[in-house]
Amino acid sequence: MSRVLSQLNLALSGMVDGVLRSVVQVRDSARGAGAGTIWHNDGLIITNAHVARGGALQVALYDGRVLNATVIARDDKRDLAALSIEANDLPTIPLGNSAQLLAGQWVMALGHPWGVMNATTGGVVIGVGKNLPELPGMRQDWVVADLHLRPGNSGGPMVDVAGRLIGVNTLMTGPGVGVAVSVDAAKQFLRDVLGTPTADAVTDSQSQYV
Amino acid sequence: MSILQDLSNDLAAAVQTASQSIVRVEGRRRMAATGIIWSADGLIITSNHVVERDDNLFVGLPNGDRVEATLVGRDPTTEIAVLRVNATGLTAATWVATSDVKVGHMVLALGRPEADVQATLGVVSAISGEWRTMAGGRIDAYLQTDVVMYPGFSGGPLISADGAMLGMNSSSLSRGVSLTLPAVTLQRVGPTLASHGRVRRGYLGVSAQPARLPATLISQLGQETGLLIAAVEPESPAEKAGLFLGDTLFHMDGASIRQMDDLMAVLTGDRVGQAVAARVLRGGQALDIQITIGERN
Repeated sequence: MSRVLSQLNLALSGMVDGVLRSVVQVRDSARGAGAGTIWHNDGLIITNAHVARGGALQVALYDGRVLNATVIARDDKRDLAALSIEANDLPTIPLGNSAQLLAGQWVMALGHPWGVMNATTGGVVIGVGKNLPELPGMRQDWVVADLHLRPGNSGGPMVDVAGRLIGVNTLMTGPGVGVAVSVDAAKQFLRDVLGTPTADAVTDSQSQYV
Repeated sequence: MSILQDLSNDLAAAVQTASQSIVRVEGRRRMAATGIIWSADGLIITSNHVVERDDNLFVGLPNGDRVEATLVGRDPTTEIAVLRVNATGLTAATWVATSDVKVGHMVLALGRPEADVQATLGVVSAISGEWRTMAGGRIDAYLQTDVVMYPGFSGGPLISADGAMLGMNSSSLSRGVSLTLPAVTLQRVGPTLASHGRVRRGYLGVSAQPARLPATLISQLGQETGLLIAAVEPESPAEKAGLFLGDTLFHMDGASIRQMDDLMAVLTGDRVGQAVAARVLRGGQALDIQITIGERN
């Protein structure tokens, strides 16, 4: 293989390995419900509201531990949820800045598609913003990329080439297009709700949730 | 990590470079699509199928302005349409040939269905020779990639890794396969649409099928078949030239005519109105005949 390709591959797998340590699986009643991302080393995890719907949630960490999780906050309208687990010194993911994303930049999404654990998919940023014509009525700050999200990716991280969180994988609008709630929107959500859980009715859409 | 940063930044930079020549085309009710600035004086090239109406057209420029546009011409067979806007400071696209890329090269599909340019990434899947669309248009090269054609990307460019434009993407060229109209085809059809409003095609007025030539002619010409004329349209250029049912056309304007494709290749728009020399086999004899090529409606 050429030198450049080998270097690229090494860099990609190295970056993914680093990020995976902060990716969790969220389970309800012993079934995988989706993924989650460790936001804070004292046990704060971000995921989708639609992943955190069931009762008796548990979180499986990359190191193998399975811990009970509490839902601190859930916002169905933004499709975000904050969970808490009893653990310290967890590997957190560095936070990126979705407002600075440019079309064409390479991003990766991690999670557990169809139950395949700790898997990744990559592509470029198609666009960022509040208006997605194929998601009418869901005005939210999105990051859209041409990678393959599948059920089990929800709540997992979308990261840039530096392994920084730039979105929370949320849904797919086609087999080749993945949509994430932007990290900027997730930051705002945590600012708004930490300490105050909210729950609004979700607006229906025709897109398939992952 | 730095090589990843370089790759990612280079991709974004290629997008930025090309963005200066990418516009939004509002030509249908459902959603806007994309167009490419063809000339600095306001010609825009786009996909024919995204221009659903002939008026009430608008174009969103790279600087954010939204201006009225007029339809200059369209060719449904090659899926190309040309618009004109009244604007200054436009940056015309620069084009590169299909030979500039190889199978496996990274390419980006760009679109501007909204305010900002959007991108998808893929590789060149296949490059091949001339082909015809289902509507009969001649496309100079076959360029297939595995980019995702995002909604509104039709009329937008396929760019190489350094931001140069290889051609125009259109979702209606093929179902399920991402095909690009190469720059050479745009450069052939675009100016014709700009000056004539449509693509002129030559016309004879015959219905024909390949037929085997007699042995003496085969060895003489090194050509095995000609086109046997099965019907001549009344009042057509063929009838006016004196062509009859049963004539076998085997040579026209310097080219051997073996089959229908050879005849189609001679009936080009630039030959409309021109008198060309042709040779037919009639009653066992080779005859020279002059045909003035007409125009297809």
